[in-house]
Amino acid sequence: MIELLTIPGVILIIGAIVLSLLPEKIRSTVFLIFPVAALAVVLTRPDGYTLTAALGSFELIVMEVDALSRVFGIIFAITAFVAGTYAWHIKDLGQQINALVYAGGALGVTYAGDFLTLIIFWELMAVSSTWLIWANRTEASDKAGNRYLLYHILGGGLLLSGIVWHYMETGSILVESLEQVYTFGNVLMLVGVCINAAVIPLHTWLADAYPKATVTGAVFMSAFTTKSAVYVLIRVFPGWELLTWFGAAMAIYGVIYAVICKDIREILAYHIISQVGFMVCGIGIGTEMALNGATAHAYSHILYKSLLFMSTGAVLYATGTSKLVNLGGLAKKMPWVLGLYLVGGFSISGLPLFNGFISKSMTISAAGYAHNEAAMLMLLFASVGTFLSVGLKLPYYTWFGGKTDNDIEVKPLPKNMYIGMGIAAFSCIFYGLYPQALYMYLPFEVDYTPFTVYHFVEITQISLMTFAGFWMLRKKMAGELIIALDVDWFYRKAAPATRKIFVRGVDQFYDRVEDKIWDIARFLTRKFKNPMLWLNPFTDKKNEASTYSPGMGVVMSFILFSFIVFALFLYL
Amino acid sequence: MKNWHWIVLGILFLITLVLEFTYLADYDSHWWNSVPAFYALFGFIGTVVIVYVAKFIAKNIVNRDINYYD
Repeated sequence: MIELLTIPGVILIIGAIVLSLLPEKIRSTVFLIFPVAALAVVLTRPDGYTLTAALGSFELIVMEVDALSRVFGIIFAITAFVAGTYAWHIKDLGQQINALVYAGGALGVTYAGDFLTLIIFWELMAVSSTWLIWANRTEASDKAGNRYLLYHILGGGLLLSGIVWHYMETGSILVESLEQVYTFGNVLMLVGVCINAAVIPLHTWLADAYPKATVTGAVFMSAFTTKSAVYVLIRVFPGWELLTWFGAAMAIYGVIYAVICKDIREILAYHIISQVGFMVCGIGIGTEMALNGATAHAYSHILYKSLLFMSTGAVLYATGTSKLVNLGGLAKKMPWVLGLYLVGGFSISGLPLFNGFISKSMTISAAGYAHNEAAMLMLLFASVGTFLSVGLKLPYYTWFGGKTDNDIEVKPLPKNMYIGMGIAAFSCIFYGLYPQALYMYLPFEVDYTPFTVYHFVEITQISLMTFAGFWMLRKKMAGELIIALDVDWFYRKAAPATRKIFVRGVDQFYDRVEDKIWDIARFLTRKFKNPMLWLNPFTDKKNEASTYSPGMGVVMSFILFSFIVFALFLYL
Repeated sequence: MKNWHWIVLGILFLITLVLEFTYLADYDSHWWNSVPAFYALFGFIGTVVIVYVAKFIAKNIVNRDINYYD
């Protein structure tokens, strides 16, 4: 039983409980112990290690280790540590606890051997991450948090229904790869997972909520929700063809919106959708190389995306704004942040010697080897957009933008922010130079070298000409902050109508019924106070209880008493 | 962008072209490998397409005032 406490996800959740008992001063430091402990467990558990627990008649496999869960476990634990370092200066207990629970949820999902364990950790993630949005305490973040939570409750509900359906059909709750059959249960599960993976058109919660989360909360969010869903897709739905096209479409959809958006964190949020598209596409292709590519890309993505969110968060923290129109000319004031951002920006763009290169090229090549040239070209097209918006547009308008200086006040950053960003940037470069360090952990054997002349020519030509195109057209991407409508329009605009029908309509109905019941009650008391007045139209004599004979009193009491006994008998 | 920046990028581009026409001359795994400097064209045209498509979508369909939902 005591072994259950060594499950990586549980370690972090215990950490959250411990944190709540500690004084403010040491909390942020103690925070960092738990991800390290979880990482130690992740690295030391051998393949095939399992922990079971009984729940009713179910035998739950609460922890099951293989290569795939290990690689995701490693990166989730590392990110919790890096993001914890970045958030070290935060004193808000609610955020600290929820960040740990959130990371614990992601780790729990990664090691869950059965669907019941999985759904519990899945829902923990949804609830705890919502707090990281609400913690911003603005009206916009309150509302966005509500929408986020509702969306994830829907997703979790669909997944759970799918699991139940699947159990009724097959009698199994094991987390294992499903054959590509679109039964009702499978589809429910797929849609539930796709909501967390932000597969279009179920992606709007992400672009809506992430830009409104706290500076540090967004770093955690960029890592866990979508990537744990990617893990589940790799585990349960590998080779489901539909995912190829949804993935490729997501990759392009995300970059188009990233070009439209004018808020730095919104641009990055849409880019998560785009990058997850690469992974989803790889999962749809489903060959060993493609699944390796999706896994590697998830790993790299978590590193560089958290770096990007950290450095844009640093800009927001220092200047108080994340709108491109107010930024620009910060190169002299925040040179280090610019440098760190560019490491992330070059990584996500897949430039050689950065970690995006070793995983993105693998995913794209996997599409090529599977003779899916259409998907390959779509992903390459998305890469162009990635470099264009995250590698060029965002840094250009934040740090340069044709302004040499900006009179915006720049607050100094806490040191721990630099350390957090530094670790992530170092990792991006480390894996970029030494891909073997990642490849050795991938679920299948890797027979692939990224450093070939072909890939060098490919990515260099694309990037150079993207840069040339950007330079020509850069003015077209400036502009005032706007709202870019997305499919969330349907539920956000529908909200007033929905509220009218399902909340106010129901309220009014009950109000009216209540009024009517009171009316009836009033009417009856009035009439039965003096029934002889209307039972016998020939008299106008009013009955007075005080004039009744004692015998009448006894009869009346008896009748009343019988009613009470009868009522008690009926209801008890 | 100073002049020497452009020169560095230009040299880099020349290197990729040289490599493409010498080292990769008979490399052929996709139909587009026979198009000279395909990836350069792809990158440039892709950028132009993305910028104009995004601009078009933004202007005609999705852009709203910042207070749209309030």
